[in-house]
Amino acid sequence: MATYDLTQRIAPNLDRHLVFPLLEFLQERQMYPDEQILKSKIELLNKTNMVDYAMDIHKSLYHTEDVPQDMVERRVEVVARLKALEERAAPIVSFLQNPNSFQDLRANDQHYNLQMLHDRYQIGPDQIEALYQYAKFQFECGNYSGAADYLYQYRALCTNSERRLSALWGKMAAEILMQNWDIALEELNQLKEKVDDPKSFTSPLNQMQSRIWLMHWSLFIFFNHDNGRTLIIDLFNQDKYLNAIQTNAPHLLRYLATAFIVNKRRRPQFKDFIKVIQQEQNSYKDPITEFLACVYVNYDFDGAQKKMKECEEVSFIQTILVILNDPFLGKRVEDSNFATVPLRDEFLENARLFIFETYCRIHQRIDMAVLAEKLNLNYEEAQRWIVNLIRNSKLDAKIDAKSGTVIMEPTHPNVYEQLIDHTKGLSGRTYKLVGQLLEHAQTQAAR
Amino acid sequence: MASRFWTQGGSDSEEESSDYEDDVENEGVETTTQTAGSRYLQANASDSDDSDGQKRVVRSAKDKRFEEMAATVDQMKNAMKINDWVSLQESFDKINKQLDKVMRVTEAEKVPTLYIKALVMLEDFLNQAMANKEAKKKMSSSNAKALNSMKQKLKKNNKQYEDLINKYRENPESEEVKDEDEESEEEEEDEDEEFEEDPDNIRAGSGSDNDDDDDGEEAEDTNDSGWVRQTGRRDKSIDKQFKNPSEITWENVNKKFKEVVAARGRKGTGRFEQVEQLTFLMKVAKTPAQKLEILFSLISAQFDVNPGLSGHMPINVWKKCVVNMLIVLDILTQYPNIVVNDMVEPDENETQKAADYNGTIRVWGNLVAFVERIDVEFFKSLQSIDPHTREYVERLRDEPMFLVLAQDVQEYLEQAGEFKAASKVALRRVELIYYKPQEVYDAMRKLAEQTDEGDDGEKAIEEESRGPSAFISVPELVPRKPTFPENSRTMMDMLVSLIYKYGDERTKARAMLCDIYHHALLDEFSTARDLLLMSHLQDNVQQMDVLSQILFNRAMAQLGLCAFRVGLVAEGHSCLSELYSGGKVKELLAQGISQSRYHEKTPEQERLERRRQMPYHMHINLELLEAVHLICAMLLEVPNMAANTHGAKSKVISKTFRRLLEVSERQTFTGPPENVRDHVMAATRALTKGDFQKAFDVINSLDVWRLLRNRESVLEMLKAKIKEEALRTYLFTFTSSYDSLSLDQLTKMFDLSEVQTHSIVSKMMINEELHASWDQPTHCIIFHDVEHSRLQALAFQLTEKLSILAESNERAMESRTGGGLDLSLRRRDQDYAAGTGAMGGKWQDNLSYNQGRQGRSGFTGGGGRSLALGQAGGYSRGQLRGSGGYSGRAAAARGSQMDGSNRMVSLNKGVRV
Repeated sequence: MATYDLTQRIAPNLDRHLVFPLLEFLQERQMYPDEQILKSKIELLNKTNMVDYAMDIHKSLYHTEDVPQDMVERRVEVVARLKALEERAAPIVSFLQNPNSFQDLRANDQHYNLQMLHDRYQIGPDQIEALYQYAKFQFECGNYSGAADYLYQYRALCTNSERRLSALWGKMAAEILMQNWDIALEELNQLKEKVDDPKSFTSPLNQMQSRIWLMHWSLFIFFNHDNGRTLIIDLFNQDKYLNAIQTNAPHLLRYLATAFIVNKRRRPQFKDFIKVIQQEQNSYKDPITEFLACVYVNYDFDGAQKKMKECEEVSFIQTILVILNDPFLGKRVEDSNFATVPLRDEFLENARLFIFETYCRIHQRIDMAVLAEKLNLNYEEAQRWIVNLIRNSKLDAKIDAKSGTVIMEPTHPNVYEQLIDHTKGLSGRTYKLVGQLLEHAQTQAAR
Repeated sequence: MASRFWTQGGSDSEEESSDYEDDVENEGVETTTQTAGSRYLQANASDSDDSDGQKRVVRSAKDKRFEEMAATVDQMKNAMKINDWVSLQESFDKINKQLDKVMRVTEAEKVPTLYIKALVMLEDFLNQAMANKEAKKKMSSSNAKALNSMKQKLKKNNKQYEDLINKYRENPESEEVKDEDEESEEEEEDEDEEFEEDPDNIRAGSGSDNDDDDDGEEAEDTNDSGWVRQTGRRDKSIDKQFKNPSEITWENVNKKFKEVVAARGRKGTGRFEQVEQLTFLMKVAKTPAQKLEILFSLISAQFDVNPGLSGHMPINVWKKCVVNMLIVLDILTQYPNIVVNDMVEPDENETQKAADYNGTIRVWGNLVAFVERIDVEFFKSLQSIDPHTREYVERLRDEPMFLVLAQDVQEYLEQAGEFKAASKVALRRVELIYYKPQEVYDAMRKLAEQTDEGDDGEKAIEEESRGPSAFISVPELVPRKPTFPENSRTMMDMLVSLIYKYGDERTKARAMLCDIYHHALLDEFSTARDLLLMSHLQDNVQQMDVLSQILFNRAMAQLGLCAFRVGLVAEGHSCLSELYSGGKVKELLAQGISQSRYHEKTPEQERLERRRQMPYHMHINLELLEAVHLICAMLLEVPNMAANTHGAKSKVISKTFRRLLEVSERQTFTGPPENVRDHVMAATRALTKGDFQKAFDVINSLDVWRLLRNRESVLEMLKAKIKEEALRTYLFTFTSSYDSLSLDQLTKMFDLSEVQTHSIVSKMMINEELHASWDQPTHCIIFHDVEHSRLQALAFQLTEKLSILAESNERAMESRTGGGLDLSLRRRDQDYAAGTGAMGGKWQDNLSYNQGRQGRSGFTGGGGRSLALGQAGGYSRGQLRGSGGYSGRAAAARGSQMDGSNRMVSLNKGVRV
């Protein structure tokens, strides 16, 4: 049942706090025994400062009221540390909370700001550093909104680029955990710029690792944001990111594949993506990528159909199981009591379309019954579905009701049109080349 | 040395010792009786001996030199008598030259007394002449001039020998020993041993003022009568030294050692002898550091035994050398305070520090260089031994021995923290393992375990025979048994990861290639491919040295074989086609030298090439390689030819294959296939007709298949592929004859399953190779009649050629301007172009992964459009901007042959996606 669960592969690339929602989800789906999940939760919390929560879980796990001594001690320690940090950061926090003084800051002049702070409020680098530590501690304690605020302000004051970067990461994590998807998306874009900047990393390896992190974190955003499914393709399908996926995190292909299937208007990139899937078949395989391979690599419609058919049998099918059991893909919309998985329906619909499209391309005449079977629909539904397609002029075909077949109109591009197409491009290219050449010659002459 | 002895003194060997004494006596007589006619005597020395009725004397080179010198001295005496400074000066020059020779022959540091005596004599005479002013005035001008220059020369010359001259003056024993000086050395050495045997020498022996220092000097004796004697004497002297080991001090061992080392490389120095001397010295060394130092010299001396670059070291010496290295390691492990380094010149007396000295002791030496040299020698010996003899097999069995050594050295270096050096040694180990499939590896492991048991016994005996001779005995600390992991892969991983971490560029590149080779050997194609593409080895293999290029070629060949075994025909072909495009496979793989008709190689080149050859057991079977290459080409090319019947010159996949096919078609009669080529051609003929069974049978009859490990499955795969391609060929060829064709018929015809057939045909339809569509209810293929008319087809060809032209223009432009972002914009999708655009032209920087992936996509895109840029020669190489991973890499070993015309084997069969 848990064959296709990716949590284990994803988790190492996430922040501790970000793993938490995943575990919650797993618990909800009952994929693993409760006990196991609770244990891993405690383990997860051990390194954070959310001691109270850990205690609660401990209680529910062992059904006792006793809490281990070390947890209690840790709690005391955490509280003490919090106090200390609060004290150290107090001046700057009070400064920031005062709206009047806050206006003194100039938006684009860091030097001025620092100077001003130093002169007027006696706030030096130490205090600013303390702010960072405080924010971090807040985050560790689970107070994400506080952390997000402080980090935002810290960024305005910080001069150390490394620190700025980690502040960005922290801010994004906090926003994700607060489910502020729009803000998180903004942070993501900022972070992406930083990550792509070759100057910020010493070795390509580091840069790649950061990209992988970024992609993992972004999963939260993309699958919750309205526009996420387009954005995920934009991000993941960039060569640099695709490289990173192929080298170190092939499991991310699943999400990209799903996004491609759900998204209809991405054809040119889609072809390249199919090649990637084909290459990575030996390193990563799951029903979603297999489905694509069936349809686009092997033209094995029976195989694809099998996958689709399984999809229809509501729950215990692989493909859908993957979707339902994946925390990101299976995000439930829980308005009203009717829990549906919107992504699932969309996925199915599009997958069906994929098969049908390819199928039609190589057939002249198709038996409706067979078609219905292939599409996992009953006869009536299939007919209605096809009629709809024809009506929307997505399909150049006719239904022969007498024999119960669909007849495709053969589409052969006119030879002359083809020729013209070929040559048109050529003249454009040549023209451009000449232009370039002239330009080059001019610059040469100018020198 | 031995042979010299036999050829010269063989006839009277039984009279050995007496001969020797006679010799000595005679010499004495001769030299004393020599007078002005000495020149004549010199030339006819042996004749005169004979005529004198004396026994024929076998005279050594040394003796001759001494005689010459004595003669010159006599000449000088004569000249003095007549006060002829001109001839005196000549004689002086002559004696100096002779001195050089004598010194070389005797290998002694010490100048012969005869020479000193002459110097003293000259000096006296000169002073006398200078004092006598009147006589000086009377001299002829030339004579006076000679006198003056003589004075200066002598002054200069005598400075070198000041000590000796003074000594001589103090103690002019010369009156007694007179002309027998030249024997003094032997006499001195022989001291008491010779005492009884050689009454003649008593006088001399007692008279000479030799000291303890000369104790060990017998070793330097190169008297040719001496080989047998010498060893005998050495044994005696060893015995003697055992009798009183206290006499041996660090100083005299060191002195002796210096002497022996100084003699290294001099003419006339016996190489074997030097080894023996050093072995002996090694045993008597007083401190571990000294022992180490001597051992290093000993190993160097053992390397010297091999005379030229071409020959290899004698095997027994090699083995001893390895043993010595192990002893070195023993010492080093036991005394961790001894540091071996070749960077600093250590203090003269560094080695004096005894075992209990606490600080670090520096000893000059380079372990890695030794290990590498030993490996090279091993390699060379395998190169030159005939692989079909038992000797070769025997030699191969020594491999574990070296592996042990390398392993130990590596461990030592790792402990010492010299990871860079350790990685070099690790590379040597890798290079011995990478070409071994698991079976061979297992066999080696077993062998290593077995032989080691045997070896232990031997060693024990050896140890005994050496007895208590060594002062510094070191227990065998380092393991003498190699530890091999179960799996060759784990071993490789272990070594390779060390190298990747610490190695330098070349080491890393070589390790990477070995790694690729090994992965390919284990049928892990995708891993090997990823490694190859990620490492960018293809891009800079041109800059590597020839040996690495050969390794690269080997890796590529193996990768091709691997791709074929796992059923990736297109990939296999793209790996191998490069190798075969020049027709120089043998050279490229260094598995033999092919004769080129048009190009004569100089002997120098030939020798170089011979030195690069791979030993036989590392060969990749060429027949198999050729079979695989041609079959891959066949599978790709036959349907391709069928698809493009209209003068399809522009879509050649394998030029080699096409050429072969043309040749075979031109034949009037085709006989039964004999070699690999014939077989494939016969199969091709069958395949073109769609007769898959016959094609398969012909290929199956090749006997190279028995070389494959998983023969059954490979043949199964091959059969499936042949069926598939036969189906495709059939469809291409006969579409025009059909209006519709049922699926059933096709499946029956080609013995394929319905699903497979359906999938294959569908693929052709989607790719628009086949203008047809399925009629689903009847399971038929309906062919559309869209056959282009001739005019249309030609028009298409024209446009295609135009686009090639445009593309090459663009590329030319790109190479000229360097920028050409516009093109990449067109080829890549927008995102990527934006990315590279930001980077400017230097897109390779920082984007290492990027390029790897692109290469990869090009690589698997195998069957895509291949524009025939092969004809364009080398011109389009490199500008492909990563569009095809396998493009444009001319096969290596380029530097080796100076073959201008064929050098640009540009392989643009790569794919543009």
